[in-house]
Amino acid sequence: MDHGKETILELEHIVKRYINKGSFFSTHGKDVIALNQVSIRVMRGEIFGLVGESGSGKTTAGRLIARLEEPEEGEIYLDGNEITALKGKALREFRRKVQMIFQDPYQSLNPQLSVFDAVSEPLIIHKIGNAEARKDSVWQAMRSVGLSPPDDFAHRYPHQLSGGQRQRVAIARAMILKPEFVVADEPTSMLDASISAQIFNILLEMREKFNVSFLFITHSLAAARYLCDRIAVIYRGNLVEMGPGDEVIENPKHPYTQALIDALPKFGYSGEVKRYQTLLRAEREASEYVGCPFFGRCKVARRPKCGSEKPPLKRLGGSHSVTCFYAEPGDKTGSGGKK
Amino acid sequence: MTVTTLNTERKLSERFHWIGRLLEGWSIYRKSLLGKIGLTLVVLFALMALCSPIPPWVSPMYQPMAGVDPDISYSVGPSTRHWLGTDFMGRDILSQLLAGARIAFMVGVSAAFMSVFLGTTIGMIAGYAGKFMDNLLMRLADMIMVMPALLVLLMLAALFGQLSIWFIVLFIALFRWPGVSRVIRAQTLSLKHRPFIEAARVAGASHLRIIFRHIMPNVLPLSFLYMTFQVTSAIIIEAALAFLGFGDPGTVSWGMMLQWVWKTGHMFRAPYWLLPPGICISLITLSFYMLGRAMDEVLDPRLRKEGETD
Amino acid sequence: MALLVVENLSVGYQTQKGYLHAVEGVSFSLGAGKSLGFVGESGCGKTTLGMALMRLLPSNGLIREGRILFDGEDLLQKTDEEMRQVRWQGIAMIFQAAMNALNPVHRVIDQIAEAILTHNPSRDKQEAYEQTRGLFQLVGLSEDRIRDYPHQYSGGMKQRAIIAMALACKPKLIIADEPTTALDVLVQDQILEETKSLQREFGISIIYISHDISIVADLCHDIAVMYAGQLVEYGATEEVFDSPMHPYTKALLSSYPTLIGEKSRLVPIPGETPNLIHLPPGCLFCDRCTEARVSCRSNPPVWLEITPTHKVLCHQCGKHCGE
Repeated sequence: MDHGKETILELEHIVKRYINKGSFFSTHGKDVIALNQVSIRVMRGEIFGLVGESGSGKTTAGRLIARLEEPEEGEIYLDGNEITALKGKALREFRRKVQMIFQDPYQSLNPQLSVFDAVSEPLIIHKIGNAEARKDSVWQAMRSVGLSPPDDFAHRYPHQLSGGQRQRVAIARAMILKPEFVVADEPTSMLDASISAQIFNILLEMREKFNVSFLFITHSLAAARYLCDRIAVIYRGNLVEMGPGDEVIENPKHPYTQALIDALPKFGYSGEVKRYQTLLRAEREASEYVGCPFFGRCKVARRPKCGSEKPPLKRLGGSHSVTCFYAEPGDKTGSGGKK
Repeated sequence: MTVTTLNTERKLSERFHWIGRLLEGWSIYRKSLLGKIGLTLVVLFALMALCSPIPPWVSPMYQPMAGVDPDISYSVGPSTRHWLGTDFMGRDILSQLLAGARIAFMVGVSAAFMSVFLGTTIGMIAGYAGKFMDNLLMRLADMIMVMPALLVLLMLAALFGQLSIWFIVLFIALFRWPGVSRVIRAQTLSLKHRPFIEAARVAGASHLRIIFRHIMPNVLPLSFLYMTFQVTSAIIIEAALAFLGFGDPGTVSWGMMLQWVWKTGHMFRAPYWLLPPGICISLITLSFYMLGRAMDEVLDPRLRKEGETD
Repeated sequence: MALLVVENLSVGYQTQKGYLHAVEGVSFSLGAGKSLGFVGESGCGKTTLGMALMRLLPSNGLIREGRILFDGEDLLQKTDEEMRQVRWQGIAMIFQAAMNALNPVHRVIDQIAEAILTHNPSRDKQEAYEQTRGLFQLVGLSEDRIRDYPHQYSGGMKQRAIIAMALACKPKLIIADEPTTALDVLVQDQILEETKSLQREFGISIIYISHDISIVADLCHDIAVMYAGQLVEYGATEEVFDSPMHPYTKALLSSYPTLIGEKSRLVPIPGETPNLIHLPPGCLFCDRCTEARVSCRSNPPVWLEITPTHKVLCHQCGKHCGE
């Protein structure tokens, strides 16, 4: 699936720590490791899904890529160039190539700027074109996200737009510089289903038209399945499974992925019985720093290995990888194992 | 409303966004009784200030400082020639009152504008920059806030003799900006982490651009609000200074009028002279305060009364 | 006799711009021990409906017409005092983002016990605390967390505490408005499972309000689809999902990406929801409907019975399902 395509973005052993300076009553608080040795590779023109629950670190990964924050360890490469150390002019150049769409459409637009102002802002910042050319670009961008006719929308303000319309403005703003890579951080989690569907389709169109690559961050495996070529599942800062979208969903190998699939409602498709049953009802005692991060909730974990060693990323054939000691290649019935 | 007026309104609102906002704000503002009273009073005082050159134009004896009624050289009550009576030198009180209104507006608005300008800029920089710059600026603000403005001004007056009106205005501004800056800083801090600011960063905006293009328009409404409150305190400080004898001797302000009443022993003898400036000072500060309160409702959607949609 | 029968309920809000028709002519019934899910997108009136059933509308809200028969008695005829009795003991409500309603300065156990004592002043403190402990066990909260404060709880735990509070006075009906939207997938699933088992054990009826049709599909016996304040399709969940009749229901279903089954292109619904202040005369969905005819615009649709357990409010369905 990825031969013939080049890598556009690569995260290598990224570690992001939030240092808790402690309070008056304790000298040193507990540090939170938001991302623990995360490595991802995204191909040009690909929509890569990063799936995880809240606190998994998925948003942090997106923010690191957009250079809103810096990692403690590790490197990020865009088109082969390391970006975490960029400053000044080089950083500005970088900003033309990587953009971001935020989760909350009600907060990601400046309430004092009209649609036209908001969408033309990146052009003004990078001093692209004159007023005439800018107007053309903005009109074009607005049409491409379905805000037609542009005349109607250009002078409106965010409070006069619905959530879906605001998100379209955000997409137009992100795409106007024709970036190479866009981080979409849960762009639909605050929108109704029918509006989300519109946004999904717009993202697909953008990819078709401009060959732009997306990192689609979401908590919904179903959305990831619909939109993404490849999916990575992340749990508490650790990458647990990665592979082609259909493969990961039809043949999940990591107990967490399997638990996620069990947990999602199936529209009455597969009846009451859960297929994988890898989740413990009550969490068990587990260290944050030693052993597999999922050990505390994993029904199929085997002592002592799972509780004391960190599983490495194992390749299971094709480009499907898992961080689990007991995921067997070619096993179609899930990683059932007894304690 | 006819279709044509609606269209023109729409077109105007599109081209000058702030007109649309103004109209919207006005419809909310006029619902507040306080706002209407406040605005009426302010307009009244503004008219007074505007009319201040009329009496001297009518006759030189109505000059507030230098005009003296040739027939009267002491304080008398209201008459057809002098609607509010005369002061201890025979000068017309009404023209003094009108001149005082002009001074009040000048002092009030200039001092308020300067202090808000300073306070907003410093507040935004402190809030956005954080860390060292924030600490530095806020500690400076603390030091100034702690100082008793009036006392320092009195000391300066004692040192340098009489102070000119513009010096007073400048000093009021220098003492008052910290209050504004704290509020603007807090607002900036809360805006700093909003997604639309991060979006501007990701788009490549420089810090300066973020502060002036993205943060400033969002804190300006608050600045305007504080301006109205600053006007009240500026007027009171100037009045206090003048009353204590440290105002600009070349200007006739209400505080100065009160000083004359008191110094010449007319306090209990001439109510027509004592009451007008006193009432004016109280009323003008009250009216600006009411203006500010009503504007608060316009600017902060959460304070609006129930049943009103955004 | 059904536990809850609602007849022709219409609820609205007085706003600056006029009367907003939030809920129009909604009728349904709910039997004891059954669950009914209200599904619709934002602005469809489902939250207003839930609040109206409890008579907890804000001051500009009013119930224009209709009857709410709970256990045979019309709730709209009751006095405030009588309603207070009904609330919590007859009907309990879990609001949206209820977990944020926990008072951060009181321990969780105190808050639940207080709820019990408020509605049962005859009980003494000891009993109330005992009962609370029992409830904790019931909802799966561990005993050693009982003396904690709300901020020490995770989102899932807070939600369980809220459910415990709702169960405290042994209500016959629980109205839950989006109780799991703020929760993670795994926690959400666990809580839904526990809700199902609690319901089976105690025979509580549940009205579940959600914008997420997939959750409702898994949880509820019956489903009611709402659009622009009206009920457009109503029936047994299986039937509605196997053969959705109303164009909106069909469109809604096809805008959800699925985990299993064919991966078809999501078809969003074009257009926007109608203005609820000036309602158009005919069908409220016809501007966005793929099957609309000219007559839909001028004639309000009527209820068509597909089966005794499946009804739809539409002109076109009769022709399509060959009745």
